[in-house]
Amino acid sequence: MNTVALTALRVGQDLPVEVIAISTRMVVGTAIATRDFQDVHHDSKAACDAGVPDVFMNILTTNALVGRYVTDWAGPHARICKIDVKLGAPNFPGDSMTLAGSVQSIDTDSGRVVVAVVGNNQLGSHVIGSVTLVLPTPAAHP
Amino acid sequence: MNLESYIGQKNGPYLSWDSVNLPMIRQWCEVMGEKNPAYQEEQAAREAGYEAITAPPLMMQVWGMAGYLGARPEGSATGPSFTMIAELEQAGYTGVVAVNCEQEYLLPLYLGDRIHYETECQSVAGPKQTALGEAMFVTELSKYYNQRKEQVGTLLFRLMFYRPGGSA
Repeated sequence: MNTVALTALRVGQDLPVEVIAISTRMVVGTAIATRDFQDVHHDSKAACDAGVPDVFMNILTTNALVGRYVTDWAGPHARICKIDVKLGAPNFPGDSMTLAGSVQSIDTDSGRVVVAVVGNNQLGSHVIGSVTLVLPTPAAHP
Repeated sequence: MNLESYIGQKNGPYLSWDSVNLPMIRQWCEVMGEKNPAYQEEQAAREAGYEAITAPPLMMQVWGMAGYLGARPEGSATGPSFTMIAELEQAGYTGVVAVNCEQEYLLPLYLGDRIHYETECQSVAGPKQTALGEAMFVTELSKYYNQRKEQVGTLLFRLMFYRPGGSA
């Protein structure tokens, strides 16, 4: 696993797209692993009573996947220092989410890189996010 | 309904059931597809510049979750931090979804760290018509601390409380 070189990045550069299949197993498994027992993430009747067709992915998981998507690209020596997400259409079982990111800004002094991420599913926009990473600077790693 | 009186209200502390631990980290990484070895192997963590195995920053909120029983360890403030939930439910806003989350990570978390957080209600908005129904929005800012009372991060959370039944 390599970490991207700060000096090799370009504003507007795209991250490779990732497609994540959503299943009931995944929605429930990720909710439990994030210690989120809110009923709409594991109980389809409760979801129905709440006005949605099925259980859906929880925000802690959306956050985790957006972060992991960016650090998979950036590499193990990149550190996330900030992550903002805005949720749209839920991720329901049977759907899939396509994550796409692009580099928004690069600060070669501090090593801070901002990556914009969108995650779309068949209903539309699931997540619009922004991840700020700190990459090793050339001074630290000549 | 008017929720303005909740603005500025501070609540906490909310203690964690579990200290930062490797089994929970491993299980979270397993379901999320996270393969960074710094989260599971000592050597890889040091090579990445950490003191020791570090928790994924994205797990910060996980440590403070109430869990299956919806309760908190002794020493925590009682009830949900969103104290307006009862009033909203009474008024028919029984559906809840998270709509925004903004996090900042200030310090790495290491195995054995004990996390707690404190909250402040930042703003309220609504009612607004949404695809799920008429909704109220409440934004809360949480500050997370370790056992040395060092701030390890912040989390701004906006919840949408809605009346199920659509926009009719």
